[in-house]
Amino acid sequence: MKDLIRIKSLISAEVEALLNQQVKKEAYSSSVYLAMASWCNRNGYDFSSEYFFKQAEEERMHQLKFYKYILDMGGNAISPEVTGIKQEYNSFREVFEEALDQEISVTQSIKNIYARCLKEQDFVTNEFLNWFLKEQREEEYKARRALELFEVIGEEGTGRWQIDKHVGGIKYDSEA
Amino acid sequence: MVTTTQTKELSTWTNVFSTAKGAIYQSDEERCWYVDFAGKVAKFDYRCLLKLKKAVYHVDIEDRLLNSGKSPDVEIIFICACDHTYVLSLLQIIALKEILEGTFVMFELNHIIQDTLYRLPY
Ligand SMILES: [Fe+2]
Ligand SMILES: [Fe+2]
Repeated sequence: MKDLIRIKSLISAEVEALLNQQVKKEAYSSSVYLAMASWCNRNGYDFSSEYFFKQAEEERMHQLKFYKYILDMGGNAISPEVTGIKQEYNSFREVFEEALDQEISVTQSIKNIYARCLKEQDFVTNEFLNWFLKEQREEEYKARRALELFEVIGEEGTGRWQIDKHVGGIKYDSEA
Repeated sequence: MVTTTQTKELSTWTNVFSTAKGAIYQSDEERCWYVDFAGKVAKFDYRCLLKLKKAVYHVDIEDRLLNSGKSPDVEIIFICACDHTYVLSLLQIIALKEILEGTFVMFELNHIIQDTLYRLPY
């Protein structure tokens, strides 16, 4: 009897489902960042708005990376439905707190897929995921650094204006 | 693609898994499966078989048993883009689920055997 399932697809049904779930998470992240960009723009934080526009685009790129990988491996990529995007925030700081929460949940989710692939010895997908593990280092660093600005600069006086200016300059350039 | 046939070509099909209630056969030649259940033999390609599995596994059997008063004891298994539908009782769902579970365990076993006998030694 031929191994028809394996002939059709490199990835297992379980890994395929997890990758599709990740497609949805990345799409959700992209929409969340877009809402953050809007909120910051409306409230006069132009550098932060620009920062979140860029993040939104990156998340869209992540989504497509997962999407195309599923298809290339013989799977079925599912275009996700994205709902429940919060449009209003209570404070400038809250935006960045939620941005970090969002990145942490993405990191955890990718770790979860990685663990599943190790269990199945799907080293091909593990190798694909390595790029995302490295990316999450940068994503969490940037989100954490933004929050740190609230501590070191402080929100009093022209603090928020200063914080916004510095958000525009956040970079992660570790060679490690 | 799903078509229904009356004749079982058992000579060229491999019995993947069967119970007293039904069976699933694989045709290597046509690269598809035949599901012999509920009085018919239906042909499923790769995508449709996965959709059938998903649809059957999706039925919350426990919930149906506990809340049998609310809804009728029939489940419609409609598989999108496969122009094929099953109308099954809860007992039939349980039986079909058992066949599918067995089938997919056999697929996994076959995968291990193929690796061990043919792919890895050379
Ligand atoms: Fe991402
Ligand atoms: Fe991200």
